[in-house]
Amino acid sequence: MSTDKLIFAVPSKGRLMEQTTEVLAKHGLTLRKTGNARGYRGAFDELPEIEVAFVSASEIASHIKSGAVHFGVTGEDLLREHIPDADAKVEFTSKLGFGHADVVIAVPDFWIDVATMADLDTMALPFRRHHGRSMRVATKYINITRRFFAANGVTDYRIVESLGATEGTPAAGTADLIVDITSTGATLKDNGLRILDDGVILRSQANLVVSNSAPWTSQTEALANQIRSRFLKS
Amino acid sequence: MTAETARQFEALEAQATRIMGVFTRAGHEAVAPAIIQPAGVFLDGIGEALRARTYVFTDQEGRELCLRPDLTVPTCRLHLERVADPATPAKYCYNGAAFRYQPADVNAAAHPREFRQAGIESIGCPDPIEAEAETLATMIAALEAASLARQALHLRFGDLALMRALLDAVDMPQRWRHRLQAQFWRPQAFRAELKRLTQDPAGLMKALPPRLVQELRAAAPGTGDAIVSAHLDAQNKETFGARSVREVTESILSVIEDSRSPPLAPSAKALIEAYVAINVPCQQAAPAVAALAKSANIDLAAPLAKFNARLDRFTAHGLDLNAATFSGEFGRSLEYYTGFVFEIGAPGQPLLSPVAGGGRYDGLMRLAGSPHDVPAVGAAIHTERLLAAIEARAK
Repeated sequence: MSTDKLIFAVPSKGRLMEQTTEVLAKHGLTLRKTGNARGYRGAFDELPEIEVAFVSASEIASHIKSGAVHFGVTGEDLLREHIPDADAKVEFTSKLGFGHADVVIAVPDFWIDVATMADLDTMALPFRRHHGRSMRVATKYINITRRFFAANGVTDYRIVESLGATEGTPAAGTADLIVDITSTGATLKDNGLRILDDGVILRSQANLVVSNSAPWTSQTEALANQIRSRFLKS
Repeated sequence: MTAETARQFEALEAQATRIMGVFTRAGHEAVAPAIIQPAGVFLDGIGEALRARTYVFTDQEGRELCLRPDLTVPTCRLHLERVADPATPAKYCYNGAAFRYQPADVNAAAHPREFRQAGIESIGCPDPIEAEAETLATMIAALEAASLARQALHLRFGDLALMRALLDAVDMPQRWRHRLQAQFWRPQAFRAELKRLTQDPAGLMKALPPRLVQELRAAAPGTGDAIVSAHLDAQNKETFGARSVREVTESILSVIEDSRSPPLAPSAKALIEAYVAINVPCQQAAPAVAALAKSANIDLAAPLAKFNARLDRFTAHGLDLNAATFSGEFGRSLEYYTGFVFEIGAPGQPLLSPVAGGGRYDGLMRLAGSPHDVPAVGAAIHTERLLAAIEARAK
């Protein structure tokens, strides 16, 4: 891979890939796969010098962080989770208007004494007295959770990593509350959970982003500006 | 991180030999606790600031483990494995690696992610003040053996027991004291809680269903659970998980209780804030606190007598207290300290990077698995920082 090549990462499957393709087309970048139909390489008709890589959405976040790709389309939640100092490492070029999901903190609905993060903090002390341990928070967003709890002054909790069906963990008894992604809130409700009044941590959507860590040359910089101008003028 | 040079390695080893010599001559048995520790005791027992900096991983059997972020907890666990009764007196010392995550932008020389701690722990000592004086004297002797002149050191003292005594003496409901104590580790939350208790202790009630509050206010003692259960049933709110309806009820009742209590007096808030702000030469600390107590009309004679007795004992151990300061808020960094805390700084080192520190941690043994609290005091030297301080002075 030569260093003057600009690499643009696009989600490799599902609805996210389709919507990305649509939005790129709307901004005058027609995406096509190169090689065989199941391949992981592609190109834009209008800017053939750019190399498109089809990568899973969470991998795009780590590639943006390491600088393995120059441009990427992925969720802000994944970027903020994988990149602690995202605002320094990443240029958030454009919000793309799809892939909406909120990262929220939700507690069992019957905890009617807990409506806010401050209530959660108040609850921590008697919880420890009753159970001899701190409350457990199930999530796959470990870093986002830690930062949000710290910003709200809640310290007496413990994260348990959950890679799937997080919303079921309080009922299953493996966690007491959760930090998870939701679009309508219906799944949370089905599981007897309620979002805290001040519990929306991040309103996430798909973003076009630029990696500040990628190996930039004057050539790739010029190409980057061509992409930027297509998104910034609209 | 740059690799350690052979010369530096040898200098650290030679320094450690001198330090450990002082520790063992003071009656501490050298131990080497395990580097890999179960994560739970650290994750549940240590302040979040350190918790977020602990390297945690899962082994092949799914057990959650960590690289020890300090050696005090591992030494407590080792003690519990060795003795049948956790209160059995024991004195340990160690020199070994500890690991703490550091963000990439932190000065790696002053805050390496892998560093060696040389320290001592005195467990179960029947005379707490003597154990504290010995600990401090031994640390200073060790620094001196490492060729940091004792005249050059500056000491900083704090006393979490004095803070507790102050809260006990101020008129307020017991659960407010618990809450303020729990918040003490977090300056911002502490200030917010003080403000709430002074201005609007009933404020929390506004978020609760008014009818439920009304019923609970009128309820006979002991009937709260049933009322809350009925309310939850009527609202179709299912109960599950570790937390019980009783805990929810207790929490609501304490909010109602808060609303009945008169707000914390502004003078009490001012007193607590003035105490936290104290920062004076240590021999002026007791008079300063006594003056605060007198103006607030509360009695702190007993805890202050203990504080002075400790200083006297330090002097009897040959320590020069002229270079020591006392700070009311010092002790906020690690949640497991319970009483006297200290920090030793070297000239030319930044205030946030002391070369040694320690204190009393009577509750830690229970977190490590003991059925009850065990009096214990300990301290450790940050050996790389010490070497850097000595080399800087030699230049």
